[in-house]
Amino acid sequence: MKLEITGLTQRFGATTVLDQLVLATGDIQALVLVGPSGGGKSTLLRILAGLDVPVAGSVAFDGTILPRNEEALRLYRRSVGTVFQAYNLFPHLSALDNLLLPLVHVHGLSRQAAIDRVREPLERFHLSPHAHKRPAELSGGQKQRIAILRALVVQPRRIFLDEPTSALDPEMTAEVLEMIGELKALGTQFVLVTHEMGFARRAADDVAFIGEGRVLAHGTAGFMFDHCPEPRVRGFFDRIVA
Amino acid sequence: MLAVVACLALAAAAAPAAEPLRVGMELSYPPFEMTDPQGRPTGVSVRLAEALAKHLGRPLVIENISFDGLIPALKTGRIDCIISSLTATPERSKSIAFSEPYLRTGLAILVGSRSPVQSAADLDVKGRVIAVKKGTTGHHYATTALKQARTLVLDKENTAVLEVVQGKADAFIYDSLSIYQNHKRHPDTTRAILAPFREETWAVGLRQGDETLRGQVNDFLKAFHAAGGFERLGDEFLPEEKRAFRERGIPFYF
Amino acid sequence: MSRRLAHVLVSAAFAALVALAFSRVHYAWNWSAVWEYRDKFIQGWLTTVALSLAALVASTVIGAAAAVCLQSRHVIVEAIGRVYVELIRGTPLLVQLLIGFYVIANAIGLENRFVVGVLVLSLFSGAYMAEIFRGGLAAIPQTQRDSARAIGLTPWQSLRLVILPQAVRLVLPAVAGQLVSLVKDSSLLSVIAISEFTLNAQEVNAMTYSTLESFLPLAAGYLVLTLPLSALSRWLEGRFRYEA
Repeated sequence: MKLEITGLTQRFGATTVLDQLVLATGDIQALVLVGPSGGGKSTLLRILAGLDVPVAGSVAFDGTILPRNEEALRLYRRSVGTVFQAYNLFPHLSALDNLLLPLVHVHGLSRQAAIDRVREPLERFHLSPHAHKRPAELSGGQKQRIAILRALVVQPRRIFLDEPTSALDPEMTAEVLEMIGELKALGTQFVLVTHEMGFARRAADDVAFIGEGRVLAHGTAGFMFDHCPEPRVRGFFDRIVA
Repeated sequence: MLAVVACLALAAAAAPAAEPLRVGMELSYPPFEMTDPQGRPTGVSVRLAEALAKHLGRPLVIENISFDGLIPALKTGRIDCIISSLTATPERSKSIAFSEPYLRTGLAILVGSRSPVQSAADLDVKGRVIAVKKGTTGHHYATTALKQARTLVLDKENTAVLEVVQGKADAFIYDSLSIYQNHKRHPDTTRAILAPFREETWAVGLRQGDETLRGQVNDFLKAFHAAGGFERLGDEFLPEEKRAFRERGIPFYF
Repeated sequence: MSRRLAHVLVSAAFAALVALAFSRVHYAWNWSAVWEYRDKFIQGWLTTVALSLAALVASTVIGAAAAVCLQSRHVIVEAIGRVYVELIRGTPLLVQLLIGFYVIANAIGLENRFVVGVLVLSLFSGAYMAEIFRGGLAAIPQTQRDSARAIGLTPWQSLRLVILPQAVRLVLPAVAGQLVSLVKDSSLLSVIAISEFTLNAQEVNAMTYSTLESFLPLAAGYLVLTLPLSALSRWLEGRFRYEA
């Protein structure tokens, strides 16, 4: 995906969260957004995922500018997938029904066709034994992995993940990151917001450092982690990375 | 001397403190049972109760109880007697005892100005709606005598009157005095058929078997009447009504 | 000891206490008179059932509508919901009945007291339902709405497939409680001379010059209505639990 963002501004009430943000990437598979809390990463991701409309600026994926009206945005959202930090799954439905819901109600598949489609991914990611459980019976890691699956089974162009492991303990974090790594290997395009620097380094093609509502630095993973001249970025990594 | 004092002291100590006389009434029936602007009970029945208590040498306690709860309160012993413009009827006599009557009155009708009802005979007609207050002799009359008409049972006098005023009910059956007062209050929307179609007497309600108190109350009523007590009550509380009723030739006397 | 056995034992103990209290009232019981009037009890009970059912349905609809208003971003719409809820919850049902029937219904020419009674009772209960629903909706995490949007569900689909199923589970206990209250509150409709259960029982008391005999069938009659409601609610809660 080629991402081009110009003059992106977002405000909530009197607070400006994104301030004329600018970003342009080459044709990459995996973009990772890092940076301090409150810097604007999640806000940016929500706009990229078509959930919020910025007050100013534009976003273009592969040359197509994101629409600003809700109807068109809804169509856009159907073509991508989003995973949040927690509470993704609908608690009154089984894991399987959670997966089937978008396929049946949004993409018009019959229930049987939908079941056929999700069978293989469930197997591949070792989630079949849990398919008939409700989210309350699943571990945090299992829930997040089902949530990622739900985003994937609609065959999206790309998926957006907003700190998918921040609410998990280290063991579950590992199993979720492993799954995302597999997605990378399979060629899935994604934009990931995370604090997991080790993973970011391994999985990202490009890394963008978002702080104070702007892109403070942007480059390949290797460049950003080892050679970045921007002092705020260096300082951040020094504190976080052991 | 000391012996006499000692005897008196003993006698005084032996005589128990007079037990209060608990009289039940519903304080929403002016001018017989009502409250003054300060919230204290007043009215004909209240004065009567005060005089009775004085006659018996007992302190008075007035219990404000809704009308249809008076007989139950008497039967369970919560009150000693009922002085609440209570009509003595044969049916009630199965449950409680009555003193000698102290007032003669009767059931009258408050009619809506647009209703075709002209007399008590017009009441029991299909399609008529008759309002009564729960537990009263009017209610009893409607239940037993009115088979064709529809009866509305209200628990307060003022909502029953409102039903007639607003034309939702043809008539309200209640005692003639209240009918008169309610008609005065709503002259344009109601008519009053005051000549009682059923005569009634009011008496003090007492528990069956409480002959002592019954005797005492009857003695009191006789004495009170002889001393002109009722005349004074009539003048104090009902001067206009006395005159109005006398003019119309309607029975209303103690 | 099983739970059901414990329930039965405690109920029996309670009934024994009540029977003891009744036996100590010095009072001449007259049960046959009450039995004679059983038709009046039954008629009154049926009226209460009809009133309660009608108000049950209407108040749920009104409450849902009001809850939607309360969540609205349009200032006027939210104001309508808020004023309605505060006004109705802040005044006694008795006052609402009297004003509703003798003033408002009278002014607009609505004469049928059963209809007015059901309307007033529904509006009354609806205000409490609205707050219950609003609380239920508010308790659903924002991410749920985000997830629904992220999948591409329309607002109507979100409501139907995601939000409402969860809201129903959240509010079920409170709604059941409100419905039980409604059945009991229906007794107040007697003030506008609706011949419901309590009024009929009181009339039997008056006509038979008995006092207390009617109260037992009265309590039993209401329990027959409210206990199944509670049991149904508990059963539904069990079915809707998130752990299957």
